[in-house]
Amino acid sequence: MRFAGHAARLALGGIFIAAGCLKALDVAEFARQTASYGLIGAGPAAFLAPLLIALETTLGVALVAGWRPRLAAILVGMLLIFFIGLESWGIAQGHTESCGCFGAYVKRTPLQVIFEDLGFLALAILAAVGLGAWRAGARRLVAACVAAAACLSLGFAIASPRLPIDDLVTRLSVGRSVTDLGIASKLPDGGQGDTLVALLDMTDPLAKGAAADLNLVAGTPGAPKVIALTPSSEQEQAAFMWEAYPAFEVVPVDRGLLKPLYRSLPRYFLVRSGKVARVFEGPRPPSADLLSSPPV
Amino acid sequence: MRTHIPSGAALAVLTCAAALLVSPAAVLAAEVVCHPNYDFCVEVDGKYPQDARFFTSETRGKFYVDIPSKSSGLLIDLPARRAIAVPATNVKSDPANGSVQVNDTVPATAAAYALSIEGPVLRFQTDATKVRVLKVLDRPPVVGPISFDDLIADRMEYREGMKQYVPEKVAIEAIKSTKKKIEIEAYFATWCPHCKMYMPKLLEVLKLASNPNIKLSLVGVPKNFGTEKGPWEGKGFSTIPAIMVKYEGKEITRLATHEGAIPETELAGIISALN
Repeated sequence: MRFAGHAARLALGGIFIAAGCLKALDVAEFARQTASYGLIGAGPAAFLAPLLIALETTLGVALVAGWRPRLAAILVGMLLIFFIGLESWGIAQGHTESCGCFGAYVKRTPLQVIFEDLGFLALAILAAVGLGAWRAGARRLVAACVAAAACLSLGFAIASPRLPIDDLVTRLSVGRSVTDLGIASKLPDGGQGDTLVALLDMTDPLAKGAAADLNLVAGTPGAPKVIALTPSSEQEQAAFMWEAYPAFEVVPVDRGLLKPLYRSLPRYFLVRSGKVARVFEGPRPPSADLLSSPPV
Repeated sequence: MRTHIPSGAALAVLTCAAALLVSPAAVLAAEVVCHPNYDFCVEVDGKYPQDARFFTSETRGKFYVDIPSKSSGLLIDLPARRAIAVPATNVKSDPANGSVQVNDTVPATAAAYALSIEGPVLRFQTDATKVRVLKVLDRPPVVGPISFDDLIADRMEYREGMKQYVPEKVAIEAIKSTKKKIEIEAYFATWCPHCKMYMPKLLEVLKLASNPNIKLSLVGVPKNFGTEKGPWEGKGFSTIPAIMVKYEGKEITRLATHEGAIPETELAGIISALN
């Protein structure tokens, strides 16, 4: 029984560490998914997201390191019961979006998540019951590891949006084919010509400034074609058109298709001969930078 | 240092300058090339005239609203936040692609109206008419059964979508020639962007096939079709459009409606399987 308890502890701990780390790569998306349940607003969700990520990671580390493993297993179990309740409530409310339990890059339906969480809950129970009063040795060292994990995970979750890791955690990188990215059909000529692509959220206050920059590029003779892909709704696109009057085409794209390409919007990249030729850094690269294309 | 200008040249310069001052519009005049945009519709006094159209232009911030029942079109100048009445003589249509060229040189006395923007809706009022430009999906939806003719008469975006769709001829021939009595029940929504892409394809296919053995029933569903009562209840769909194919009164399959779905090929396949 104790062996099963240890196996469950290590498995569950690993899962929670992985879940926390994956979420920390795109905290904004996790906050958005949390808010989409409608229980809390976008502001509180943005505040709570790093804390929840740190809690999950810390509990995972506590389980793996063996720091108060029974307590950690019980807390993990309670967290899972809360998640199961939240998903069930979401289904009852017609919520069909992926939960974001393993970050923005792992997609499952709410029902799949419930079954998965039930499995994890069984592991938590097994760990809590099977381990009995067992604790790891070198308690001070273990406690220090857990405390360090809590601080590091919270720090990483807070700093993550500003870290230059977009190329690592999104599918958008130089050399990728637009067909692989699933956006070829949205681009003029299937992306064969030079096209400056902007991923824009029309409700973002930065979008209007981005439109001004892009208009400048669109109006420059010899510059690449400009196109904006947006996950925004039809209404948001209309409001954007009246306010920013873009001189470029705005193409709505399903959010699920676009999300793997960014952590935060706006994001810009240049497409040439069906491949990503350049990815621009920052939410508003200088227009001169947008106009300078790498040589063919 | 003084520059000597011959008197004849000075006269020419002065004449040109005077001409510029007297008629600046003639010099600054520009042809605004406008293309119809069927994502937007024009509401005129609460109604949606069939032929009223909204155009986007190649000139940033300028749009054109054509309401044929009115004597003049309206050039929207968003940066200036006004709509200017443009005489019909200033507008040239290109029937080939539906675009228009609007000469924005209008008399100083041309009527101009203040614009207001309310989220996704552009609004202005001419002397006697209230005009709103809004997304077609934001129009009051079609709810309940509707005939093919009524639907395409009412919805410009469906008419235009049908014109743009070129189905596969072989599949159309197969659909046209079937003697199997097939019923197609289509549950769709005029507020749903996906239906706006898919439904014109299906309608064009059935129009071209024009087979009396294939009966089409169209039912518009409201936004809360999951809870509201109506003919869509108990049909077992949670996403739209839901296109049910019935043979001998029984549902035999549903058509795929994802982006890129080809209704004629799928229907021809179903007919082939029935044969």
